[in-house]
Amino acid sequence: MPKLERSQWYDLCRDMNWRFKYVTEADVFPEALSKSHGLPAAVWWSWDEPYKIGYREYVHNQAKKDSAVYSVRSAIARSRLFENLDPGWKAAVIAHYGAIAMPEYLACIGEARMGRFGRAAAWRNMALYGTLDEIRHGQVQFSFPHDLLNKEPRFDWAHKAFHTNEWGVIALRHFFDDIFMSNDAVSTAIQLTFTVETGFTNLQFLGMAADAMETGDVAFGALISSIQTDEARHAQQGEPTLRLLIQHGKRAEAQLLIDVSFWRSWRLFALLTGISMDYYTPLIHRSMSFREFMLEWIVKQFSDQLRDLGLERPWYWDPFLQELDWLHHAFHLGVWLKRRTVWWNPAAGVNDAEREWLESKYPGWQDRFGTYWQTITENVRQGEIGRTHLETLLVVCNICQIPVCSPTIGAPPKQITRNGRVFTFCSEPCKWIFEQNPARYAGHLSIVDRFVAGHIQPPNLPGVLAYMGLPPDEQGTDATNYAWAFEQPQSAVTRAA
Amino acid sequence: MRMATVPLQAAFRGDFTVLLVPVDDQDTIEVVAQKVSYHVIHRRLPPQDAPMHVQHNGRILPTDQTVAQVGLSPMSFVEVFYDA
Repeated sequence: MPKLERSQWYDLCRDMNWRFKYVTEADVFPEALSKSHGLPAAVWWSWDEPYKIGYREYVHNQAKKDSAVYSVRSAIARSRLFENLDPGWKAAVIAHYGAIAMPEYLACIGEARMGRFGRAAAWRNMALYGTLDEIRHGQVQFSFPHDLLNKEPRFDWAHKAFHTNEWGVIALRHFFDDIFMSNDAVSTAIQLTFTVETGFTNLQFLGMAADAMETGDVAFGALISSIQTDEARHAQQGEPTLRLLIQHGKRAEAQLLIDVSFWRSWRLFALLTGISMDYYTPLIHRSMSFREFMLEWIVKQFSDQLRDLGLERPWYWDPFLQELDWLHHAFHLGVWLKRRTVWWNPAAGVNDAEREWLESKYPGWQDRFGTYWQTITENVRQGEIGRTHLETLLVVCNICQIPVCSPTIGAPPKQITRNGRVFTFCSEPCKWIFEQNPARYAGHLSIVDRFVAGHIQPPNLPGVLAYMGLPPDEQGTDATNYAWAFEQPQSAVTRAA
Repeated sequence: MRMATVPLQAAFRGDFTVLLVPVDDQDTIEVVAQKVSYHVIHRRLPPQDAPMHVQHNGRILPTDQTVAQVGLSPMSFVEVFYDA
């Protein structure tokens, strides 16, 4: 059989679109799963993407990637590399696996929905590769932590987390359910692949891989790099989908989908990546602050993409930029204070040198957050560890499911009363998201709603921890057993020398 | 008289987050202030030698009245602050 050049067969083989005679278009592509936005089938058939790849090439490439990453895993498994990592970095990695491994696996459902209900064969072809990508990402991110179980049993949370009601997992599950588990094909392309992947995770994974290598975590660096190359490809489904909607008068619908998913992505990004970059990554290995990373990579790149597409920045852009200064610092403080409710050991990240760095990167940090940490430090030094734990639940937002934090407490949280139930929101955009589609969100109970409704028994802290699936030996504790609170200030050390 | 638990959303002025603080409907507002401050003072904020007030919907609540009397309902938001 003669081998043809790809260009000689690709479009013919890929674009297997046809008009249905024996069934209706709506039977093949139900609106609930596909969502045409009223665009005729032939319009969707013009959908195209820049990555031209056939199945044979795909398998060949993926096999090479797997071979490379699993060979690193084999080599590392025989070393003591993990034991020698910084406790803060270990926290970041253990948190990452619990938060991300299962969603990668679940993302194949979103990709498979586009692979079946996307309105163009070219799109379905790309989504098939996306489905296979996500299966690989799930498997490889279960495999690596599995190797480390004998060194840290909580790597089990790579698999366990999404089978629990741990508060952070509830937040992640709510987000992923909204963005791809319970979403139509068009919205998934825009919200998952354009906003989450192109906007956030593709760049995040580049940064994480670099940080991992800098920190000496070769295994995690190789893993993340391998995943990122797939993301860069299948994330391309969003842009052609957006272009078609915009060209055919559906700009407002496209903008709404982006505005919802960008804000939701930002909240979780601040929680996971913000804390990891500015508090868990060892100070000597920090190449830039989370705020700098956001401004240089996420904000600029996403703004440029929106401009190129003729779309607007989300309406909440200014408040979003203001949050870069403080939101993840508040999240970090909250996570550390309720460290018993997470599956990793949070690093405080506030020794003297780290506070100086934080103040240099976030002028005003000392006045805004350093004072809290100073009181906490004094309590640790005096043996009052009990005072450094939260003894009650934090109120969480009914959209992002993350504790309600504020730079200026005093303003009440945003609330809506609907059918006699009070819904609470951390911010105007989260309230706005709820109001766009109340029926979609109103049935969900936050961890606080469940507590108040009596679903958590006994209604006390041990009951809450049991409900979250956290037995005592899996509850988080301070990453360095509070060593940071007793470290000599740099200036004193210098003087003594 | 049977007491009923009323879960309040509560913040102490100067703190960074909103707490869920269960109180009893027969608790006085003074007790509410103490229950909220327990989670904040000496933990993240220093104590002050000043009386505490509880504010709800822009109104400072009388310290000697009960939760039921002032009409606080489950998930009402209150802010506690020092009169300093």
